[in-house]
Amino acid sequence: MNTLRRAASNKLRAWAVRRNGRDSLPTKILRRRIYLMPTRFGFMLGLILIAMLIAGLNYNSNLGLAFAFLMASVAFVTMHHCNRILLGLQVDATTEVDAFAGGEASFEFVLSNESNVDRRDVEIRCMTAAGMRSVPARSSESVSVAVPVPRRGVVRIDQFELRTRYPFGWFFAWTYLQGSLTAYVAPAPRGNRTLPALGGSGFQSPSEIRGDEDFAGLRAYEPGVPLKHMAWKVLARGGEAAVRSYTSLAAQPEWLEWSSLEGQDAESRLSQLCLWVLESEAAQRVFGLRIPGTEIPPARGAAHRFACLRALATYAVAGPA
Amino acid sequence: MKPKPVSFEQLAGISACLALALVAHLKALPVWVLVTVAVSGGIRLLLAHRGRAAPPSAVRLVTAVLAVALLFVQFRTFNGLTAGTALLALMAGLKLLETDAQRDIYVLTLIIYFVSLSALLEGDSFWLLAYLIGVCWLTTATLLRLTSTLPAPDWRRSLRYAGRILSQALPLALVFWLFFPRFAGPLWHIPDDGSTAESGLSDTMSPGDITELALSDEIAFRVRFATAPPPPQERYWRGPVMHHFDGHTWKRAKSTSMIASALQPQGPAYRYTLSLEPHQHNWIFALDWPSHWDLPRGALTGDYTLVQPDPVSRPIDVAATSYTRVQSSEPLNARLRQWDTRLPPDRNPRTTQLAHTLRGEHPDEMDYVRAVLNLFTQQEFYYTLTPPKLADDSVDKFLFDTKRGFCEHYASAFAILMRAAGIPARVVTGYQGGTLNRYADYWIVRQSDAHAWNEVWIEGRGWLRVDPTSAIAPGRVEHGMNDAVSADEPLGSRWHRRTPWLADVRLRLDALRQIWRERILLFDQDSQQKVLEWLNIPEPDGQKLVMVLTAALTLVLVWLTWAVRREIAPARKEPLIRAYSRLCAKLAALGMPRLAHEGAEDYAARVAQSRPDLGPAVTALCRHYSILRYAAAPARISVGQFDAAVRAFRPVPNHVK
Repeated sequence: MNTLRRAASNKLRAWAVRRNGRDSLPTKILRRRIYLMPTRFGFMLGLILIAMLIAGLNYNSNLGLAFAFLMASVAFVTMHHCNRILLGLQVDATTEVDAFAGGEASFEFVLSNESNVDRRDVEIRCMTAAGMRSVPARSSESVSVAVPVPRRGVVRIDQFELRTRYPFGWFFAWTYLQGSLTAYVAPAPRGNRTLPALGGSGFQSPSEIRGDEDFAGLRAYEPGVPLKHMAWKVLARGGEAAVRSYTSLAAQPEWLEWSSLEGQDAESRLSQLCLWVLESEAAQRVFGLRIPGTEIPPARGAAHRFACLRALATYAVAGPA
Repeated sequence: MKPKPVSFEQLAGISACLALALVAHLKALPVWVLVTVAVSGGIRLLLAHRGRAAPPSAVRLVTAVLAVALLFVQFRTFNGLTAGTALLALMAGLKLLETDAQRDIYVLTLIIYFVSLSALLEGDSFWLLAYLIGVCWLTTATLLRLTSTLPAPDWRRSLRYAGRILSQALPLALVFWLFFPRFAGPLWHIPDDGSTAESGLSDTMSPGDITELALSDEIAFRVRFATAPPPPQERYWRGPVMHHFDGHTWKRAKSTSMIASALQPQGPAYRYTLSLEPHQHNWIFALDWPSHWDLPRGALTGDYTLVQPDPVSRPIDVAATSYTRVQSSEPLNARLRQWDTRLPPDRNPRTTQLAHTLRGEHPDEMDYVRAVLNLFTQQEFYYTLTPPKLADDSVDKFLFDTKRGFCEHYASAFAILMRAAGIPARVVTGYQGGTLNRYADYWIVRQSDAHAWNEVWIEGRGWLRVDPTSAIAPGRVEHGMNDAVSADEPLGSRWHRRTPWLADVRLRLDALRQIWRERILLFDQDSQQKVLEWLNIPEPDGQKLVMVLTAALTLVLVWLTWAVRREIAPARKEPLIRAYSRLCAKLAALGMPRLAHEGAEDYAARVAQSRPDLGPAVTALCRHYSILRYAAAPARISVGQFDAAVRAFRPVPNHVK
């Protein structure tokens, strides 16, 4: 039964792709792509309605028939209301997210409801994961859907699904959206090698190797900088947010090398490199990454870290188109 | 998916809905079923209140088996309305007991819907329908709160939303109801569970039976005459005819094989429609001597009572034609003669003696009848609702000692006096008279109009109706019971009969009830045909009905789609923003669209720079907009004035200048 259902669902998905083509986000959900089915509870209601109708006819009871027809009509109206939850809803999503293997890729969706009715219980499904939200009238809500990503690599999601069972749970309406979402799954940070430090002295706390005398000037603020490095005085004078930059011994570029991890398999090397990237970033070091085919020049900051993690994620897998 | 547990509030809500639905069945269901449902609901609620789960499955199973077995012992079947409803109610109660997950509550809502319906199958009142729709509304709102995955809307909003869906469903339901093809008979035989009590006259008559009915205000039937109604003294509605007398009780003839012999009508024919209330007997109270009727399986018995094979268990309408005076040229059927002259031996000897004496003085049959009637008027006989109790030889006691009686006493005594003199005579029970509802031009016949009279066989003339009561209390026949009995009788205390305006209100209400009955309760194939004729559809038939149904459904569904979608159209902007957008559109038409990030005053500055001629006007308008929108300074013009100013602003394109 379940396999039959899955097969039918796959057929429908494929058909929806052929019918609607790719979607560019943000997209508005149109009428022709919303599907609707009774739930199991809805089928039970259907049986009861048929029984009510037969009873009314058999007893020739006009009041019984009136009641049966009213309930059947309520079911009809509910169908429209269920369909309406999704109709005209605008969907946007963050198309690229980063994650670590064994963790979850958290896609952020934004649902905008321009209408005057609440859209309750809207569920977004990506593969096996789902998130649910109600979007009140004339507002937007964001939903995050955490898709589990067990392995390193690039996870591409071509299709996600919006569905609802509101109201009454008799019907569920759903739609497929062909937006492409990509998760760059970096290797799980793992390894037992210490961070290669300058002079091979191992890991040192940044406070030990940095002093105020190394102040080298200001640079533009970027997210992720420790608060104590903020140039508060500059900000207080009304200037741009800036960060004091230091030249210390630790700021000497340091290379995280694929080749320094001889004797391990590729995934272990990537995991170790990933751990190093995170440690270097945490230690505010300037570092570069060298893996076969890719060389990321030394730098630091959040953007740099993402570049490195993405390089580790895409190593030896078919890159994004 | 793991089942979601239920909360106390949800359980309480659904229990309340179930209780409200069962209220409609209070009369029909056995008490122990109601008690079982109440107790199991109570136990479950108590457990839920303490945060505990449902009782173990063994307990539930044993309870269920016991309850269902008990039910079967009582009803011997699960088929039939009362038994089926009792079973459903038990199931709902036990389901409540085992409710742990929300899925169970879904099942409960379905049971509640069906229980509500089953109350309507044999119900007929408007209020019952309204009440049950209310119950279904409440249940649906409860369901809405249950099925919401995220925090549900509050009660008020849930009720409003469920009400909205119900009201949108009404037009669709109306179309279905009007045009869904009706069948003439039931799809399968409905077992009679005998739960509905017989009412009105029965097929026996003992002294006191009709007296009891006289106190009842219940409506037996209503009549609408297509011709002029017969005069009051001829308004006799024939019910069961009694032949067999055992000295105390009169009994109807069981044999139905006898065929009514042909009659020669005299006087005018009366055509009328009888709206009969269910009374659980198979006879129909036609006017005196019915000649035609539109009852598919109706027939006349040998004594001219209109009957059908099944008891009247639902309200029915019968159109019929009757005469109030007939003659018969055929001789009396031998069996009837034997029945109608037989008396129990050795009973009421004084009466028999009196009959012999009188008959000796009046050899002519008609003379004898008149002599007996004179006896009633000349001696001190009283017409009363509270006659003394009579023991054995009741007729002797009545005729010679108490001399106080109600119509059944007189009819009984008269028949015996006739039979003792060798004249075939029988007792006819039925109704006499009726009240005109002047607001809707129909007659109401109540149980209090129940009556008993006689028919005697006069050779060469046939059956003749004789009403001995009219000899004692002519008012009874002319004006009805109220005028016939004195004020200290039980009827005299009926204050509403003595209050004219109240009687008036009662008549008006009854007129409404009759409309409800004619238009709604008895809506059938013929009514559907009339609706189609009204729609100007030639030669209506079943196929055309289905076509009309389809067309009407399509229309209503289109309307429904529009009504439901209309609400999700993007919210209309407020007037101020609309006016500002209009200004921007006018400037954009000149090649100066507002940029997305531009505020009103920046935009005005830019416009003023490229079109100095428009500068002052645009700057002023944008300034007004900023003030109105952000209330940066006290506004000097209203939104309406701003809108008017924008409309009046007609910038000239550059190249025209």
